[in-house]
Amino acid sequence: MLKRSKSMYAYYLVWPALLIYSVFFVVPAIIGFYYSFTDWRLDRDTITYIGWDNFKRIFSDETLLLAMKNTLIFAIVTVIGKNVLAIALAVALNMRLKTRNFLRAIFYSPSILSVLVISIVFTPMLRTEGMINRMFETIGLGSFSQAWLTDPSIVIWTVAAVSIWQHTGFQMAIYLAGLQSISKEYYEAATIDGAGLWKSFIHITLPLLLPAININLMLTLIGGLKVFSEVFVLTGGGPGNASQVVGTIILRAFGEGSWGLGTAINTLLFIIVTIISIPLLIFMRRKEVAE
Amino acid sequence: MIFKRKLALRNYAVEIFLLIASLAIILPLLMMIFGSFMTSAEVTKFTIRLPDKWLFSNYVKVFQEGGLGRAFLNGIVITGVSSILNIVTSSAAAFILARRESKLSSYLYLFFFMGLIAPMSTITTIRVVQWMGFYGSVTSVIFIYAALNTAFSMFLYSGFIKSIPKVLDEVAFLEGANLFSVFFRIITPLIVPVNATVAIMVFMSVWNDITIPLYFLTDSSTWTMPLSVYNFYGKYSRDWNLIFADLVMTSLPVLILYLFAQKYIVSGLTAGAVKG
Repeated sequence: MLKRSKSMYAYYLVWPALLIYSVFFVVPAIIGFYYSFTDWRLDRDTITYIGWDNFKRIFSDETLLLAMKNTLIFAIVTVIGKNVLAIALAVALNMRLKTRNFLRAIFYSPSILSVLVISIVFTPMLRTEGMINRMFETIGLGSFSQAWLTDPSIVIWTVAAVSIWQHTGFQMAIYLAGLQSISKEYYEAATIDGAGLWKSFIHITLPLLLPAININLMLTLIGGLKVFSEVFVLTGGGPGNASQVVGTIILRAFGEGSWGLGTAINTLLFIIVTIISIPLLIFMRRKEVAE
Repeated sequence: MIFKRKLALRNYAVEIFLLIASLAIILPLLMMIFGSFMTSAEVTKFTIRLPDKWLFSNYVKVFQEGGLGRAFLNGIVITGVSSILNIVTSSAAAFILARRESKLSSYLYLFFFMGLIAPMSTITTIRVVQWMGFYGSVTSVIFIYAALNTAFSMFLYSGFIKSIPKVLDEVAFLEGANLFSVFFRIITPLIVPVNATVAIMVFMSVWNDITIPLYFLTDSSTWTMPLSVYNFYGKYSRDWNLIFADLVMTSLPVLILYLFAQKYIVSGLTAGAVKG
């Protein structure tokens, strides 16, 4: 029976998904490795193999290096910011509050909107004479005022902050779902044993929230490394090139017609993301098996 | 008793703090909504207050001058067709991979799962689409979105299908049903809630996306909302009332979807949180 039933599930139902996924996602990634080593240009018919030249150029071009540094800063800042805030919000909104559902909906709502919408709304607010600086002045913290989008030394941090503002609610919702799967009995037992709030958070909440923490770390990290739209709309990579990230540099190379170079940058991103995420993935799968 | 009162006091303190914090979310959104009804002189102060007069005509104007009607329909077509394509293909594939507990099927699952991690290779995707002869078309974008969302959908489906007892299909097979009818008559009705979750998740990500249209939709008559709004934003950068009206129109479909389909979003998030 077992053998027969196995052959019943013929692979032909896998084919359509496999075909679409392979043609439009996997094949481009694979040929990307080849095109990374060519001088492929929009305005030239011939494509020649040029060895490591594109990669040499990436590692000697200041703008490209800055873009990689900015991408890492953005990823690290948003991973920490989104997850710390989201856990705090989730724990607070898991308490018996009167306006709990209202607050959950409010904090979640920006994450369903387009990054484009949020970025355009924040543009006038972040100007030197904008709402955010005016607010600091009103509450007597005028020294906190910054040229948020025009000061090259802080602009990538500003973009990261806008992203945290928008997406923390999404992470919060995953943490809330995780919290709801934790049995109340653990907390009751801990209270009887005399454990305070902080102790039960460290010894009960955090360990049992691990699946949600894993998935959120992975989602925010991968999303952070792939950042594009926030920078594209808020700053366009500027002022100068101060806020360029890998995603916007690829678009620039594409626009300039340097398709080989653009593909090489993309391949590099592919390798970086994979190297960082695979250990996380293996860790998660091992945990699944252990269960 | 004292303990209980202390607890209640703590809850009040947390609640008040959160209500104040929620202003940080509410105020920028209110600025956009109120601003979309103001005159262009009134809106440039960028303060949060009710408009002197509610100008609904701003919305009429963005539809006429910004070509939003066209973009809205393009968005509906691209989002709708790619969601359906994604749902049908991913659920069928996930069904087979979840039922066959072989080495090959788990490798295939991993192969699909890589799509959740790896960034897409944009410029070479253009190359592939050019080879196939439909670069710049709506069709190419539909297939690309279906491909990009395959990994996530398969992840949701396979978790759910594994919880459906295999006996159900086996009985049907014994009665002479073929694989096709087992999938469409037995499995499909049972996975309706997941279909809803996947449909909403795909709809939201595709509707809101600006990257793919930027690279793949070369003709402005095929643009979706975010790209045409971005273009409008560049052109009318003085008329913030119109820009805000544009942004509200872009957000409305996902907001409505969110209000009506909240429980399906939550169930999708729960799958991620609990299964990791």
